Amino acid sequence: MEKAERRWLYVLIVVFVIVNVVTLSSLIPWQSWQIWQDPEPSQVVNIAYEDYTITMDTPVEIKTGEFVEFAATSADVTYGFGVFREDNSMVFQMQVLPGRVNRITWKFDETGTYDVRSTEYSGPKHSDMVVRDAIVVK
Amino acid sequence: MTNFGKMEKWTLRFAVVALLFLALSGFEGMLMRTQLYDVDSLHGMEAFLNNLRPGDIEPTTAELYYAMLTAHPVVGIYGFVYMAVFGAFYFLVPYLINKPVKHPKLVVTNFWLQIIGVMVCWASGFFGLFNAMYTLYWPLPVAFDRVPVLGSIFFMLGAAAIMVNILLFSYNIFKTVLSKNGDGSYTLGQFLRAAFGIPRLMKLFGKEDKTAVNLDYNGLPPFIVAVARGSIDTVINAIVLLTAGVLILIYGLFALFGNPLNPLAVDALIYKNVYWWGLDMVADGNALIYTAGVWYLLVPLLTGRKLFGANVVKTVIMVDLLVSMGVWSHHLLGDTSQPMWMKILSGQLITWGEYFTMGLTIFVSLMTIWKARPVKMTPPMKFVLGSMFGFVMGGISGLIQANVGLNLIFHNTQWVVALHAHTFLLSGVGTMLFSVIYTLVPMLTGLEFKHKKLVDWHLWLWLIGNVSMAYAMGMAGSNGMVRRTLYTGGEFTTNTLVAIIGGSIAAIGFLVFLVNLISTIGFKNVLALVIPEGKQKLPVPATSAD
Repeated sequence: MEKAERRWLYVLIVVFVIVNVVTLSSLIPWQSWQIWQDPEPSQVVNIAYEDYTITMDTPVEIKTGEFVEFAATSADVTYGFGVFREDNSMVFQMQVLPGRVNRITWKFDETGTYDVRSTEYSGPKHSDMVVRDAIVVK
Repeated sequence: MTNFGKMEKWTLRFAVVALLFLALSGFEGMLMRTQLYDVDSLHGMEAFLNNLRPGDIEPTTAELYYAMLTAHPVVGIYGFVYMAVFGAFYFLVPYLINKPVKHPKLVVTNFWLQIIGVMVCWASGFFGLFNAMYTLYWPLPVAFDRVPVLGSIFFMLGAAAIMVNILLFSYNIFKTVLSKNGDGSYTLGQFLRAAFGIPRLMKLFGKEDKTAVNLDYNGLPPFIVAVARGSIDTVINAIVLLTAGVLILIYGLFALFGNPLNPLAVDALIYKNVYWWGLDMVADGNALIYTAGVWYLLVPLLTGRKLFGANVVKTVIMVDLLVSMGVWSHHLLGDTSQPMWMKILSGQLITWGEYFTMGLTIFVSLMTIWKARPVKMTPPMKFVLGSMFGFVMGGISGLIQANVGLNLIFHNTQWVVALHAHTFLLSGVGTMLFSVIYTLVPMLTGLEFKHKKLVDWHLWLWLIGNVSMAYAMGMAGSNGMVRRTLYTGGEFTTNTLVAIIGGSIAAIGFLVFLVNLISTIGFKNVLALVIPEGKQKLPVPATSAD
């Protein structure tokens, strides 16, 4: 290996270590409960998907700083569960596969009203799968 | 009219059809962006095209949009990229190892079967309204209340033709390299061991591979090793996709004859893992390693200098094989049922292996150019550098989304498809393929490109247009714009408009290239490519393919 190549490899290794250590650590807020902790949720929100319809008791009322588990099931094809702010930016999302309970835990730190949208293509009517004002965080 | 050799003519034919598929794919992309900007904008065209469709059907705008979205990547990847790769490799591999193509008739088969396969897939969308996307997430392609059963059957037949064709192409390339003609004779075992990097792996552990002719991949040029190495991924990709296609085809045929099978008999998560394991091989085998191989070939050729750090390059090719086998989970980071250890290991950490292999590849290529200063900035050299820029941009955005934490807000957004996939394919692979065309046209025809300034216009319009398009949609993705979603409420229109302008700039760059290419080769010569040999007046010279 040439000297210049070795030096370049060291640079690559340093960048690799720094980026992965930082992004796997709790410096990314949700990594603390996605990877490192197993927090007990204060409530479980069940969501059912079938025939292009998202069924959930709305509005879901959540307090900031509390852990909430979203448990989604599909009776037919793969969908997505995405939570969006009023300006359409995404808070988080997961895939909803049929044949299993798809779970994700989240802790909201901003009050507000949130929409739920299917984030996975499920057929030509997929774009209409939006539940407005589905979640209210106080 | 210039008298081209037989194999040269076939390579040019592959290139011409590849460019036509790129134009079709780009046109589809522009139509879809226009619909994203204003969902009602194409109603006139939709009504006109409905007259061409069989039966008395009036599909919705959404059905047409998603059918086009399903056909679009098939045309772009298997029409444009694969056709260009077939044509280039059928000329370069025999040329570099000084052996003729083992089965010349397969070259013709590859040409037609690829066109038929891609067009059947395209027609399944246009006429049959097949809309399950290229990802074919189970059980959507067999949910026949959403996906037309006839469209699904024909799409799978087209896809099967493409996959069988890829296997035939790989077989022909392997047989050509392994043939006993010429100086170098290798057994299949030696060649596969070279492609898998076994001799180098053993060398790392201080042992000698006694079956290898020597430790430098049996004396093969790095480009040939990269082709062999990439072909392993390409073959795996074809086998996995062929298997999935046959499975969907069986479900379709049973449904067609009134005996539908139970979709839940197949586990959606296991299917998704296997499917992505195979599908992602396109990115590794075709986009990464084939491209690396082309750089290993072109950079020394264009600079007149031996590739810097060639030993490391050979190790890189070997390591990337191991990487490519283990990275598929970065497509499943949004699946909470996927074990977290697989997401971190396969989805994130092993994916960074590609950062090392491509990082070293780009470094050795740039070092070779640096040490060869002053370097003449020929058309292919400019496009080689442009393609490296495309790979760096597409690679960095890919690493950002292939992160267990960040994927929660990037998964399935426009970030993924614009800043990563389209940057990789258009600014990276597309620009690399243009560098190959700028190299091969003078080699094949003996003609230099006529208008040097048009080469610069092509380069800058192509890169600026594609980067603007990718950046605009990538930013929309980071703000929550989901991919494969036809927004109807006026959301993200500013980003979409910028992307339309960017796409138009890239399209103008492409047209500039076509003008330069046709005026260089001559319109009569381009026409001669589509006239069957028997009907041409000029004699065809004997070539390596005869």
